[in-house]
Amino acid sequence: MTNVFAIPVFFICFRECLETVIIVSVLLAFLKQSIGPDRDRFVYKKLVKQVWAGVGAGLLICIIIGCGMIGAFYGIGKDTFSGTEDLWEGIFGIIATIIITLVGAALLRVSKLQDKWRVKLANALEKQDVRHKTSSGNRFKLWCEKYAMFLLPFITVLREGLEAVVFIGGVGLGLPAESFPLAVICGLLAGILIGYLIYRGGNSAKLQVFLIISTCFLYLVAAGLFSKAIWFLQNHQWSKITGGDAAGTGSGAGSYNIKQSVWHVNCCNPQVNGGGGWGVFNSLFGWTNSATYGSVISYNIYWLGVIVAFACMLYYEKKGHWPLMKAKAREADDEYLEKTSSEGGSSGVVDGGLTKEGDEGVQTSAREIQV
Amino acid sequence: MALSLSNFLVCLLTLLPKGLLHSVDAATVTHDFNVGWVRANPDGMAERPVIGINGQWPLPLLNFTKGDRVIVNLHNQLGNQSTSAHFHGLYQNGTNDMDGPVGVTQCNIPPGHSMTYNFTVDQHGTYWYHSHTRGQYPDGWRGQFIVHDPENPYRGQFDEEVAFTVSDWYHDEMPGLLAGFINYKNPTGAEPVPKSALMNDTTDFTMAVEPGKTYFFRLTNIGAFAGQYFWIEGHTMKIIEVDGVYTEPAEADMIYLTAAQRYSFLVTAKDDSSSNFAMVSSMDEDLFDVVPPELNPNVTGWLMYDASAPKPTAKFVDAFRPFDDFSLQPEDGLELFDHADYSFNLDLKMDNLGDGANYAFFNDITYTTPVVPTLYSVLTTGDKADDPTVYGAYTNSHVLKKNDIIELILNSNDPGKHPFHLHGHNFQLVHRGAAGAGFYNASREHSFPATPMRRDTVMVNPNSNFVIRFRADNPGVWLFHCHINWHLDTGLAATMIEIPLELQKTLSVPEDHLDVCRASRTHTSGNAAGNTVDLLDLNGQNTSPAPLPAGFTARGIVALVFSCLSAFLGIGMIAWYGSAPLGAAELESAKRFIAKAGGTK
Repeated sequence: MTNVFAIPVFFICFRECLETVIIVSVLLAFLKQSIGPDRDRFVYKKLVKQVWAGVGAGLLICIIIGCGMIGAFYGIGKDTFSGTEDLWEGIFGIIATIIITLVGAALLRVSKLQDKWRVKLANALEKQDVRHKTSSGNRFKLWCEKYAMFLLPFITVLREGLEAVVFIGGVGLGLPAESFPLAVICGLLAGILIGYLIYRGGNSAKLQVFLIISTCFLYLVAAGLFSKAIWFLQNHQWSKITGGDAAGTGSGAGSYNIKQSVWHVNCCNPQVNGGGGWGVFNSLFGWTNSATYGSVISYNIYWLGVIVAFACMLYYEKKGHWPLMKAKAREADDEYLEKTSSEGGSSGVVDGGLTKEGDEGVQTSAREIQV
Repeated sequence: MALSLSNFLVCLLTLLPKGLLHSVDAATVTHDFNVGWVRANPDGMAERPVIGINGQWPLPLLNFTKGDRVIVNLHNQLGNQSTSAHFHGLYQNGTNDMDGPVGVTQCNIPPGHSMTYNFTVDQHGTYWYHSHTRGQYPDGWRGQFIVHDPENPYRGQFDEEVAFTVSDWYHDEMPGLLAGFINYKNPTGAEPVPKSALMNDTTDFTMAVEPGKTYFFRLTNIGAFAGQYFWIEGHTMKIIEVDGVYTEPAEADMIYLTAAQRYSFLVTAKDDSSSNFAMVSSMDEDLFDVVPPELNPNVTGWLMYDASAPKPTAKFVDAFRPFDDFSLQPEDGLELFDHADYSFNLDLKMDNLGDGANYAFFNDITYTTPVVPTLYSVLTTGDKADDPTVYGAYTNSHVLKKNDIIELILNSNDPGKHPFHLHGHNFQLVHRGAAGAGFYNASREHSFPATPMRRDTVMVNPNSNFVIRFRADNPGVWLFHCHINWHLDTGLAATMIEIPLELQKTLSVPEDHLDVCRASRTHTSGNAAGNTVDLLDLNGQNTSPAPLPAGFTARGIVALVFSCLSAFLGIGMIAWYGSAPLGAAELESAKRFIAKAGGTK
């Protein structure tokens, strides 16, 4: 199961795809509203085509770059990392945990992205207007303006896609290559489906429930990964102590360090023969038949960290400032949103004058990772 | 009358020059063994402390004659270790207390104390002596002894007798090696690999031979662990004795000696004296968990026809094809004991206990030295001595009845080769399974040899079995154990309590043995736990480490519950955050922002 379906990869794909779908849906909705098939049928059709062309081109480039990267990675990786497998599994596990943890919180807010993108888009077009007035007739700028409806989705898809590639690469460092395709495809399909539902403006409460459940799973996976990463590092130490002998002992006595063992059951080993159901249990919840002090403590500390971080974010949203810090000026929220919207500009869409008004201070927050 | 006469003879004979001793029927041979540390470097690779006798190492080759009374006064001058002495292969009939294994027939002799071993040798053959204190003999405390037989059936067929040894050799001392071996860091129980092989305690052993003469070679593997393949280039060996039992002559090109086994064979020298020949002993690397690349498993010695001619380098052999000792026949023609009065299994396995170390087991019990040496329990438990319970739950004790034919079936659940040794007897090897044969199945038809080979140390093949039979005619407490030193120390032993009630009547332990017990603060009466009142109450007996927990312990359950709890709390927190509406202020500002953005368009 874990050998053909990498759960972290699925979630990363799902999230990035969802975000892309939302952007595209916002663009299409915008075109429908502002130009509409009724007003200027020809222009409308042309712009819609541009949007899809941008999406297609962006996707294509992403897939090419992604495949190349992951291919090259595995080509090098297989030689470099074999022999010290436990050490690398541990290090990759920690990298994957960090990526998933940072990406995860964004999934919760994905249904609200629609509004945000609408704002960003408006921002971008506003800027275009400004630019148009001051334009010196530069050809490139003109070209950009003419194909804005192509460039906007193209760059957005490219950005989200490359982000996904980097994340998947990071998360998947320790996973076998054959576990990728199915997870990627499922992630894409799920993302498109949910994105479509959001576009159609389905029951947003139900959607939110779905997103919460997804996020919870994502964090369960991350906690398990973290715990496993520590376990692998300890196992690496143990292999060094026993001179690699322990590897040959399967899941029985001698395969683990008795001094570090919190529990050990001579069954349910997720690493033997693919692990069966225990393998699923392992990738979802970090189950191990041989828990160590390190793996148990790291699992609990991870959750503690997550609880504290989310509590702080909740506090911030309610109070407008971080716990244990002084309350900021009243407009903190305003600034925050403006800042977030201006972030969108840096993704390739020309940025607009609105930031001028909200220039008083830069508010950094954990929620920026949602962008 | 006869007694006083023999005493007189003994006194007389001890005064005679030693060279004459072999020609008379019975003598008393007295040795003082001052056991102490000396330094030696037998393989030229590392000088190290070794246990010597009277300041000498290698230990002396002892020569006795059948019928001799042997008196060994052992003085422990080690300073930092207790010790003991066992004469391997002697039946010690009537002198069970002189056998030597600590915790079985005697107490450990602490530093500064002495003990006298006094027994009559009423057998002949090739033997060896060594410490029987936990893990000690590979530190050098082992040597060869020969019991010459004036009535050797092969006398006249050889010109000269030569005794020598082969052995594995370590550069580190046993206490440290044992601590690393029985350790949670060595969960697979990988035995320490020897650093080199020795022939007659050197790596440059030469033996001058004269053309055309026939030599009677007596070869003993006095090693701790490794079996040894032995061959002499250009010569065949005619086997005539194994472990003190004469055999019908059998030709062999290569023999295999497990730790503690002995072979005697006749080698006839070539008529041509122009060149010398290599004798090679090669440690069986199958036994080693990991073979270090720098290890030379071979040691070469030479038959020197011409001292001025070069010593040839040993030739490469394609494969080891040693002689199978199962096919040997005893020269005395003793026929198969065709039925067993008492048959029992000892099922061997290796497993880990709760301290994380790897132990060896017979029938799921790893031998643990009892509080009272088992012989002393026999002598102090009266009628109850017939009940194996008395000897504790960790000694694998079997009570054998007088003159019963005992059948011991050894089933090995381990992929290693193990040499098993029975004290106080030799035994018939009636069946030996091929490697991988699994457990012995008595219901299958086995055609046992009519006159089975007898010896006192026999090897079981990997994951296989053997069946041995012997007559219970030697009252005593006899250890049956693996002669791989490491495995004995992790408990691969069982105790034969042979005719205990007769033993109580015939044996009295000398006072100096009991003094040693007092010095080492060891109980000398009662059951295995030292209880003298209720002999079936084993409270206080020595136990092996507890088994590994089979599953979740309290610690594991607490950890699992806490992990689940924190996961649920974390999920709850995420759900709370996720379902919380955007703050009112945030929503308001978002609306204003959108409105503004829309307005400028």
